[in-house]
Amino acid sequence: MTDQTLKLEEALYRCNKCGFCQATCPFYQSTQEEWTVARGRLRLMKAVMEDALPVSDRYIRGIFQCFTCGACSATCPSGLQVDEMLLEGRRDTVLKGLLPESLARLGQTITTTGNLTGEASDVRLSWAQNLEFTPPQRGNHEVIYFAGCVSSLYPQAYGLPQSMVRLLERTEVDYAILGGDEVCCGYPLFISGQEDEAREMAKANVGQVREAGATRLIVTCPSCYRAWREFYPQLLGEDPGVEVVHATQWLMDAGLSLKPLEKKVTYHDPCDLGRGSGIYDPPREFLSRIEGLELVEMPYARAEAMCCGGGGNMESLDPPASQSVIQMRMKQASGTGADWVVTACPQCKRTLASARAKDICMPVVDIVQLAWRSVSGT
Amino acid sequence: MKTSVIQKLESIVGTENLLTAKEDCFLYSYDASFPEFQPDVVVLPRTTEAVSGVMALASEERVPVVPRGAGTGLSGGSVPAQGGIVLSLTKMNRILDLDADNLVSQVEPGLVNAHLQAAVAPYGLFFPPDPASMKVCTLGGNVVEDAGGPKCFKYGVTKNYILGLEVVLPEGEVIDTGGCVIKNTTGYDLTRLFIGSEGTLGVVTKIILRLLPVPEGKRTMLALFDSLNAASRAVGAIVGVGIIPSALEMMDNLLIRAAEDFVHVGLPTDAAAMLLIEVDGAEAGLDPQVKAIEQVCREAGVRDWKVATSASEVDSLWLARRTVIGAAGRVRPSLVLQDVTVPRNLLPDMVARVVEISEKYDLPIGVLAHAGDGNLHPLILFDGRNAEEMKRVKDAEKEIFATALELDGTLTGEHGVGLTKMKYLSWQLKPREVEINRELKALFDPQNILNPGKIFA
Repeated sequence: MTDQTLKLEEALYRCNKCGFCQATCPFYQSTQEEWTVARGRLRLMKAVMEDALPVSDRYIRGIFQCFTCGACSATCPSGLQVDEMLLEGRRDTVLKGLLPESLARLGQTITTTGNLTGEASDVRLSWAQNLEFTPPQRGNHEVIYFAGCVSSLYPQAYGLPQSMVRLLERTEVDYAILGGDEVCCGYPLFISGQEDEAREMAKANVGQVREAGATRLIVTCPSCYRAWREFYPQLLGEDPGVEVVHATQWLMDAGLSLKPLEKKVTYHDPCDLGRGSGIYDPPREFLSRIEGLELVEMPYARAEAMCCGGGGNMESLDPPASQSVIQMRMKQASGTGADWVVTACPQCKRTLASARAKDICMPVVDIVQLAWRSVSGT
Repeated sequence: MKTSVIQKLESIVGTENLLTAKEDCFLYSYDASFPEFQPDVVVLPRTTEAVSGVMALASEERVPVVPRGAGTGLSGGSVPAQGGIVLSLTKMNRILDLDADNLVSQVEPGLVNAHLQAAVAPYGLFFPPDPASMKVCTLGGNVVEDAGGPKCFKYGVTKNYILGLEVVLPEGEVIDTGGCVIKNTTGYDLTRLFIGSEGTLGVVTKIILRLLPVPEGKRTMLALFDSLNAASRAVGAIVGVGIIPSALEMMDNLLIRAAEDFVHVGLPTDAAAMLLIEVDGAEAGLDPQVKAIEQVCREAGVRDWKVATSASEVDSLWLARRTVIGAAGRVRPSLVLQDVTVPRNLLPDMVARVVEISEKYDLPIGVLAHAGDGNLHPLILFDGRNAEEMKRVKDAEKEIFATALELDGTLTGEHGVGLTKMKYLSWQLKPREVEINRELKALFDPQNILNPGKIFA
């Protein structure tokens, strides 16, 4: 038995079944079924480890169908890092050749085309086509703006990279984008246990950034942020050698001249930015700098923030569950009486805006879009 | 289980509310206590009619049924000790009515306690029973275990707040007990009979409960002592000056360290004991109470004393208290949690004996108490994979029960007998009392299909 397995076995034994994970699990909140919550998933893992259960479809469902929001890890009084434990279970399942079909197809799509949607790589530049300038792409630049798949490939999210490059131009940063040479950061591959495939993406992206001679990478997507900062060193066995900054951190020091915005807003903490990276205060502090903007907190905020419903590849694994959580989160947002939901993630923005509930009509705005509105006075 | 029974269950509850896979049987084999037993099938009905259908079928087929809420019980009450059908009420989780004028609400059993609190708070109301697990436990579970919580010393337990119930009897018949009025003495008090019956007399499908207005203000205090004895004597002294705090919780050093390890709120990890004290009520009366309590604690030798100055500080202190049982998993992987209750003035004696028992059996035993009630929760920590240690745990458990009974106390104040305390029932109840309990059970459940193998050995 490897050290890793012993560690996992010991961790599984430390779950004393208190059930407190139910309180913050978005999946359990929408289903009320034990298989959807951390306690149940860990109990299944323990049963398989003890050979009391085979590795079955239901087991695989328990290991993979999860929003990977990390709320359980933050809530667990015993300190179990449930997301890491489940990731280990997934890696093991992948090694056995039992990856769920939809995730295997997603993996194929990403590795053959370099992007989430399977489109040709030049489609990654579509968002940049209606700008009043052409973002630089080639040559040596101090900063690379890494747009990521969601911002580049989903029109509902185009507003993010457009706002980001406008802000970079306005503040005269020496930046470039990678355009069609940018590939998926590999996050969906890493979290589904497809590490070899994720490593290929990491190598390609790091190579591009090194070729540009950049010392700083700015991202608007928290999942890309975690991939670059946390997963790439693990996958490559070395630091990518570039400072990785999320837009919410960049905004704090960018020296922007902000005009008033009279709006009441609520802020949705993206899982990968908040719990995943510990960034809770910078976005809130930035919002407080905009005159006229009133921030009201949602229930389940900061470390207890509920997932937007777009995490864990769940949009493809379990669309009804995804939509159920999206609606729950938007109901929480609209319950604050705010005019807008502000978030700091293209996936959260896109997902929350897709809530199919007739009684919820609330614009979802990314913080970089809001920043550009304030800067430009539009 | 017969295929025909499963097919009938499917038509009663609906395909999406029926779980038959082996994996699901694992997932419904446990609660938050130690024992695990697998059911044959799990149903998650959404209506009283469906619950009634399940019970009628189970009665006809003589199949055991075990009702379940969140599965966070601490005595094995929802563990299917004899297999059969687990009847999960978690999908029956609506608030059916809120009559804010009359301070009454009607809810389904699967509603989470904290969700009720959140729903009534905008009306300036609260539901006093606040078990430590309130963020996850269901009201149905609270009713059938007569759950307590920190507020009980001042406000009373669950049974003091239930005005009426809708119950499905073991053969499927649906009855109503009580009503929606505060005083109701028409006929025998069937409501109280079902409260604390641990799911063995009927399945609760509606709860009519009483709410209170949220007090104008509250103050939260933290008192740290250099000995458990000093802390437990301070408890009696606080009451002795005529104050009934709305919370009076005690934790020992082992648990202070476990809690601090999780919440990082700055609890001093070298203190032998802490009291978390809260008073609530009219603003004008609070600061004098705080002063009086401080005086009492200083006379008892308090080492450090503070009053929480912000809402987030209050929340952090309560998070430390409420999650401490789970946090004990950081110390040893397995735990057995006791629930003995003694007269408050004998709490120091009970605590001292628990410390001796811990030393005698060489087992870490965390001391946690709703001290104002005399309700002690010794947490015996061990590794369940070690058979020799398990034997010492059993022996320690016996001594704790024996001591509580010697001190005119009870085996269980709020967690129930369930599975875990069954073999000690006759230590507390006399034979005729046990017989009457059994006769009542047989009256409601002649076939003994509803949560069999619980309470009585």
